[in-house]
Amino acid sequence: MKRRNMFSRIILLTMALALVAAACGDAEVVTETVIVEVPGDTVVVEVEVPAEGELVTIVARCKSAPPVEDGRCNNLLKGVVAANAQLEADGDPRRVEVQTIQDNADWGDYRVEFELASDAGQAPDIIVSGHEDIGTWATSGIITDVTDLLGNYPEFDDIIPSLWASTELNGQRWGVPQDAEARPLYYRMDLLLELGWTQDEVDSLPARLASGEYTWEDMFDTAEEAVAAGIVDAGNGWWHRPSNGPDFLYYYFAVGGELLDPSGALIYDTAAAQQVYELVGDAVARDILVSTRLDGDWSSWNPAVANGDVLFWFGGSWQWADWAVNYVLEGGEETLFATTGFGPIPALAAGTNTPISLTHPLLYMVSSATEHTDLALLVIAKATTKELNTEYAVASGHLAILTTQADYEPYTSAVFLSQVGSILEFTTFLPNSPFYSAWSEGYYLGITAVESGELDAAAAVDVVVAQLENELGENVIIK
Amino acid sequence: MAQSLDKDTLARAAIGAPGPQRGTLGRRVRNTFTAYGFLGPAMGLVLFFFVIPGILLVVLSLTDLSSANFSDPWTFIGLDNFERLFADPFFPKILRNTVFYVFTTLIFFNLGLALVLALVTTNIPRRSGFFFRLIWLLPRLTPSVVYILMWKRIGQADPFGIYNQLFPEFLGASGGNLFLGGSPWTFVILTNGFVGASFGMIIFTSALESIPKDLITAAKVDGANVWRIIRDIKLPMIKWPLLFIATYQTLSLLTSFEYILLLTEGGPGLFTTEVWALTAYKRAFASYFGNSQWAFGATWAIVLVTVALLLAVIYVKLFKFNELIEEPRIENL
Repeated sequence: MKRRNMFSRIILLTMALALVAAACGDAEVVTETVIVEVPGDTVVVEVEVPAEGELVTIVARCKSAPPVEDGRCNNLLKGVVAANAQLEADGDPRRVEVQTIQDNADWGDYRVEFELASDAGQAPDIIVSGHEDIGTWATSGIITDVTDLLGNYPEFDDIIPSLWASTELNGQRWGVPQDAEARPLYYRMDLLLELGWTQDEVDSLPARLASGEYTWEDMFDTAEEAVAAGIVDAGNGWWHRPSNGPDFLYYYFAVGGELLDPSGALIYDTAAAQQVYELVGDAVARDILVSTRLDGDWSSWNPAVANGDVLFWFGGSWQWADWAVNYVLEGGEETLFATTGFGPIPALAAGTNTPISLTHPLLYMVSSATEHTDLALLVIAKATTKELNTEYAVASGHLAILTTQADYEPYTSAVFLSQVGSILEFTTFLPNSPFYSAWSEGYYLGITAVESGELDAAAAVDVVVAQLENELGENVIIK
Repeated sequence: MAQSLDKDTLARAAIGAPGPQRGTLGRRVRNTFTAYGFLGPAMGLVLFFFVIPGILLVVLSLTDLSSANFSDPWTFIGLDNFERLFADPFFPKILRNTVFYVFTTLIFFNLGLALVLALVTTNIPRRSGFFFRLIWLLPRLTPSVVYILMWKRIGQADPFGIYNQLFPEFLGASGGNLFLGGSPWTFVILTNGFVGASFGMIIFTSALESIPKDLITAAKVDGANVWRIIRDIKLPMIKWPLLFIATYQTLSLLTSFEYILLLTEGGPGLFTTEVWALTAYKRAFASYFGNSQWAFGATWAIVLVTVALLLAVIYVKLFKFNELIEEPRIENL
C-alpha cells in the first residue's frame, strides 16, 4: 500500500514539474517556409511563438502577372520577419504568418471573387486591387476604413503624399498604396527612322511630346504615312489596348471632358464623348487602326507591339517589364531600349492641347471581416519599405510610391523607371465612385460601336446616353 | 393457411387484367407510396436545383442587389429591373442574336450535322463508323477552355492564327483576319455546333441501329434506293429521337454562353455575338470595373428561364410528347 502511495506521489510530482517546465520553458517554434518563385530567392522564416501567445495567419490575395509582379504578395511574405520583430519589441505575445493567394486572374473575376468571398465570410484579410474599387467596396462595407489606424505605422509616412488621394472616399482613407504606374505612348524608333525621320527628330520626340509640340493629330499623320509607305501593315499605325480599361478615360480628359460632379453623380459630356468617338473612328477610316482591335486578345497584342509590328501604341509602364521578360524575341530589355521609345500621351490640339497620362495605383486594402486589422496593417507596413518596393518596382516596371526611393540607388539606377517617371507630371486618376463601372461600360460601348463601324460618332453618343440613363438614372448627368 | 391461387387469378395475372376488388384502398395507398418513392429522388433534385433557385432568382430580380450594397438588407424595388431590361437599347439586338444563334446552330449542327453523321456512320462498316463517331466526340470530350484556345489559335489574325496564316486571302479575307475578326458568328456557330452535333449523333445512331433490319432488306428487295430508304423508313422510325433532340438542344443552346464568352466575349464591336445568357452572366458577374449588378443579372436570367419554360411547353404540345409516353397499345390487346 505504502509503495503504491509512493508511486502515485512520484507521478504527481513528475506531472507538476512538467507543467512548471512547460510554463517556464522555451517558446514554441513554428517554422514557416516561404517559397518565392524567383529562382534562388527561397526564404525560410522561423516564427517563434511565445507559450502564452498565438500564431495568427493573415491571408493575402493578389492579382499579378508572373513573374514580374509577384512582389505584390511576396513582399508581404518578406515583411513577416520585421512584423514579428516589431511584435516582440512591443511585448505583444502574438506572432504572424502570411498565406498568399496570387495569380493573374481576370480583373472582373478577381473582384467578384472577393465580393462573394466577403459575403460567404471567407474573405482574405488583405486584398490588392485598383483604387477605384474603393467606390464599391467601401460603400458596401467589405473593406476597412483605415484612416485612424495609419498613424500607428511610421512606415506609411514615407508614402508620396499625392498618392493618398487615390485611397480616399468621403474624406476617409480605405487602403495603402502598393504601386503606381505611368501610361505612356510607346513608339518604334527603328520604324520612324525607316520612315525618313532623322536621328535628332527621333531622339527629341519625348521632349516634343512633353511640350505639346508633337500632338495626337501629328501622331495619326505619321502613322498614316507609315501605313502608306508599307512600313507597317494597314491597321498597325496606332493601337490602343484590346479591351476596356482605365486608358480610355484619358482620351475623354484629353478632349476636356468632365467626370465627377460635386454631388457625387458622374457626368457624361456628350460633346467630349463624341470627339473621342470621332477620334477612334478617324483612326479606323485612315487605316491606322484595325476595326477589330477591341477583340480582347492580349495574347496577340503583346507580341505584336513588343516585336515591331506596330508604330505607335498606348500602353502602361508595367508592360515594359512584361515585354522584356515574356515577349521580346531576342535581347530582352536591351532590345527594347534600342528600338522602343516612350513619352506622355500627346496633346490633342483639338482638345485641351496638353499632354496627358493616367495613374492607376493599386492599394493594399484590409477586409472588414478580418479579426486582425492591426496585424494586417503591420504586415503591409513592413512590406512598404524602399528596399522591398524598389525590388518590386524595378522588376515590374512600376513607379516609386515612397519619397525615399527618389534617391535610393537601386531605384534611380533603373533607367526605364527614372525616365518614365517624368510622365507623372501629366497624370490623372480614375474616380472612386460606385457608379464608375456602369459609366465606363457605357462610354466604352460608344468606342466599340464607332471603331467597329456599326455607328457614327453622333449615333454612338445617342446610344450611350440611352444606356447610361437606363443604367444610372439620377446618378449620371448628361451634359 | 397457405393461400392457393385459383385458375381465374392465374389467368388474370397472365393477361395483366386487374384482379378482384378486394383490399383496393390498401393497394391504392401502397401503389401511391411506391410511385412517390420512385419519383422522390427526381422530385427532390428538381426542387433543390431548379424550383428553389428559380424562386430565389425571382425574389432577387425584385431587389436592387449589387456589389455596392450587398452587405445591407435587400431593398425591394418592384418591377424596376424589368422596366430597365426592356428599356435597354440593346435588348432587341441581344434577342435577335439569341434567336439566330440558337436556331442556326440547332438546324445546321445539333440536328442537321448530327443526323448526317449518324446516317453516314451507320452506312459504312461498323468499325469505321465507330471510329468516325469517336472523332466527332472529341470536341465534347475536350475541356471547353482548351477547346476554345485551340479554335482561337486557328482563327486569330495573321500571323497568330494558323488558318489566317496559311490562307490569308481565302474566301475574300482581308488583312488575314477571316474568322474571329471578319466573321465572328461563323466561328461561334462552328465551335458550338461541333460540340452539339455529337450528342444528336449518338442518340440518332442508336435509334438507327435499332431499326429492324428486315425493313431495310425488304425495301432494298423492292428496289428502294438509299435516299428512299432514309426518307421513307429511317427518318419516320427515328421521329421521336429527332423531336427529343430538337427540344433538348433548343433549351440547351438558349442557356449556353461559355464558348461565346471564351471566344468573343460577345464582341467584337457592339454586342455582335452577345446572347441573352451571356448578358445575364456579364451583368451579374463580369464587369471590368466591378460593382456587379446581381439583381439586374437575375432579371435577365429569369426572363430567359421563363422563355425556356414556355418553349418547353410549346415543344411538348407541338410534338405531342404525351403520345410518346403512352402505354403501348399492343400490350392491351
